[in-house]
Amino acid sequence: MPTARSSTDPLAAGWVRAVADLGHLMRFRAATVRRPRTTAVAVLVLLGVTLAASVGPLLVEGAGSGTVLEDHLGAMLAGFLVLAIASSMASGGGRELVPREQAAIHPIDHRTEHLGALVLAPLNFAWLLQAWLLLGVTARITGSDGWLGGQAVAAAWVVCATALAQVVGWLVETVRRTTHGIAVVRTVAVVLAVVGVGLQATHRLLPLLDALPTHHLADAITVRDGARPVVLALLALTAAAVVAGALPAGVALRRTPREELKVESGSHPARSLPSSDLAVLRRIDRGSVWRSVPMRRGLVVLALGPGLVALGGGMDWTEVLVLPALVVSGGALLFGVNAWCLDGRGALWRESLPVEPGTVFAARALTLAEWLGSAAVVTIALAALRAGVPSAVEVLALATTMVVVTLQVVAVSMSWSGRRPFPVQLSSARATPAPPIVMVGYSARLAVSTTLTAMLFSAAAQTPAWWLVPVMAVPFLLWSWVRLRRARGWWVDASQRARVVVAVAA
Amino acid sequence: MSQPAVHPVIDVRGLHVRFGEVEAVAGIDLRAEAGHATALLGRNGAGKSTTMRVLAGVVPPTAGSVLVGGIDVAADPVAVKRRVGYCPDVGGLVPRATPWEHLQLAARLRRLDDWEVRARDLLERFELGDVAHRVTSGFSHGMGRRLSVVLAALHEPEVLLLDEPFDGVDPLGVEATQAVIEDARARGASVLVSTHLRDLAIQACSTAVVLRGGAQVAAMEADELSGEAGADAYRALLD
Repeated sequence: MPTARSSTDPLAAGWVRAVADLGHLMRFRAATVRRPRTTAVAVLVLLGVTLAASVGPLLVEGAGSGTVLEDHLGAMLAGFLVLAIASSMASGGGRELVPREQAAIHPIDHRTEHLGALVLAPLNFAWLLQAWLLLGVTARITGSDGWLGGQAVAAAWVVCATALAQVVGWLVETVRRTTHGIAVVRTVAVVLAVVGVGLQATHRLLPLLDALPTHHLADAITVRDGARPVVLALLALTAAAVVAGALPAGVALRRTPREELKVESGSHPARSLPSSDLAVLRRIDRGSVWRSVPMRRGLVVLALGPGLVALGGGMDWTEVLVLPALVVSGGALLFGVNAWCLDGRGALWRESLPVEPGTVFAARALTLAEWLGSAAVVTIALAALRAGVPSAVEVLALATTMVVVTLQVVAVSMSWSGRRPFPVQLSSARATPAPPIVMVGYSARLAVSTTLTAMLFSAAAQTPAWWLVPVMAVPFLLWSWVRLRRARGWWVDASQRARVVVAVAA
Repeated sequence: MSQPAVHPVIDVRGLHVRFGEVEAVAGIDLRAEAGHATALLGRNGAGKSTTMRVLAGVVPPTAGSVLVGGIDVAADPVAVKRRVGYCPDVGGLVPRATPWEHLQLAARLRRLDDWEVRARDLLERFELGDVAHRVTSGFSHGMGRRLSVVLAALHEPEVLLLDEPFDGVDPLGVEATQAVIEDARARGASVLVSTHLRDLAIQACSTAVVLRGGAQVAAMEADELSGEAGADAYRALLD
C-alpha cells in the first residue's frame, strides 16, 4: 500500500513548500548579512536578555509572593496582543523577509510571505520589550515554585498572540486594499482610539482588560498548576492562527496596494522656485519623506499612540516629559537611521549636482529634525489636553528635553546613516530602512539612550531649582553637536560620500 | 604657420579606482575634445560606469589625473559638476520627486535663469510633458532613462556624460537622445556615451574607446566598428 503523500493534497503540499521556501529565504538573508560576527553576538545578547528576564526575578527577594502584578497579569497579557496587532497593522500585515523589489521575480507563495512576517515579528524592540516584561512578571509572580509552567504559558501566549495579531494585520490589509478600504480602516482606527481614550479617561480600560479571557491564562500562571493543558491549547490555537492567517494574506497580497500607489503615483503641481540651495534641497527631502506610505503611517502611529495614552491616562507634565524621547527615537527608525536611502537610485544624479556637500548634509539633518519634532509636538499637544496649564518651569523643561533628545537622535541617526548605508526604496508599507536584525539594535540603543535622558530631565524638573534642566542640557547638547559635526565630516569626505551614494543607489 | 594646440576637454591619465579589494578601473587614459562625441564601449564590469562617475565628480579617483575642462576633479569636484551634465547608468531619479521638481533642483543649484522654456521643450521632445508633475517612482524604465537625459542636458553643459542612455528606450526616445547628442556637439560640447548598443554608438559618436578589465584596449574612429568587419573587430577586442 503506498504511503507517500497523495498528490491530491495540495493544501498540505503548499505548506510544505512554503516552509521549505521560508528556509531558503532565511538562508539567503543570513548569507547577505554584512557583519555575521556582530549579528551572532546580537542574537546571543537577545537570548541572554531573554534568559535574564525569565530567571532574574527569581533572584530578587519577594519572588513568588502575591503582588499587585498578579491582579493585572490578565490585562498585561491582553496588552501584548494589542501591541502585536498595532505593530502588524502598521506594517501592512508584517515585515518583508525579502524586499518587494527583489522578491517580485521569484515564485514566492503568500504562505511563505505570511510565515516570513511571523518569523520577523519578534525583531521589533517594542515586541521584545513587552515579551521580556511578561516573562519577568510571570517569574516574579510564580517564584521558583511553578516557574517552568508559568514561563511555558507566558511564552506560548507570546507566540500565540503574535500569530493571532498577524491574522488581524492581514485582515486589515485586505480591507485597506479594497476600493474604499483606506477610509474604512482610518474611520475604524479613529473610533477605536476615541473609545480607548474614553475608557481610559473613565478608568474603565483596566477593568475591561482584566475581564478579557486572558485572565484564564493569568489564573493558570498564578495557581502554579495545570500549565500543560493551557500550553497545549495555546499551541493548538497558534497552529490554527498560522493556517488561518494565510487566507487573508493571500487575498491581501493579490490585491493592489492602493495606498502606496495613490501616494507614489500622485501629481504635485509646480511651486515657485525656493530662494536658496538649502531650501530647494529641503523641499525635495521633505517630499521624499511625506510621500512615503511607511513613513506617513509610522509617524501617525508614533505621534498619536503615546499622545492618546497620555490623554486617556491623564498624565501630568513630569510624566509627559518622557514622551518626546519615545516618539523621537521611534520616528528615527522610520528612515532616520538610513537617511541617505531617501534618494534611492537618484543618489548618483543628486551627487553630480554642483552643491557643497555640507549643505546637502544640513538639509537632510534639518528634514529629519523637523520630522521628529513634528511628531513630538502632536504627542505633547494631545497630552496637554488633560495635563493642565503648565508652569513656566515645566514649559522650560519640556522645550529643553525636546531639543536635547531631538539633537541626540539626529546626531546618532546621521552618524549611522553615513557609516552603514543600505539600498532601500521604502515604497512598501512593509519595508524597513535597514535589515530587521539591524533595526533591533538601532531601536534598542535609541530607546535606552533617549529614555534615560528624558527620565533624567524629568527628575531634574521636579526639583525646586528651575535652572537645573537648562544647565544639565549643556553637556548633552555639546556632545550631540560634536557627534553631528563628526557625522558631517564623514559625509563631506569625498571617498566616504561616494561609498554611501553608490551603496544606496545599488 | 603651426596649428594651435588642441586641449582636450576630458583628459584622463592613469586613472585607478578601487573599492576596497576590487579595482574597478585599472589605469585608463582617455581624451575627448570639444565638439566631439566619444563612445565608451566594453563588456559589463569593464569600468565604463565607474569612469563616468569619476568624470561626473561622484566618485573620487584613487590614483591618476582627471581633468574636466582643465579642472582637476579631485581638487575641485564642485567646479567640475558645474560644467558636467550626467545621466547615471542606474535609475538616476529621486523616487518620490516629480520631473519638474528634479528640474527645479538642477536649475537652482546650477544658477540657471529662464530655464523653464528649455525645460518644457526638452520634456516635450522626450514625450514627458504630460507627466511633468507626477512622482517618478511610477515611471517605466524607459521613461526614467529619458528623464535622466533631459536632466543631464538641461543646462547645456560643456561636458555631457550619458551612461546607457538608450537602455530600454523606445525608438522615439532614441531619436530624441541622438538629437540631444547632436545639439551638444554642434554647440561645441564634449559628449561621452557609454553603451552596449554598438550600432547606436556608431550613429551618435565620431570616436570610440574600448575598455576591458578596467583598462583601455583600443581607441578608434567609430566608423571602424561598423558593419560585419567592425562587429568582428569589436568582438575580438572584448575577448
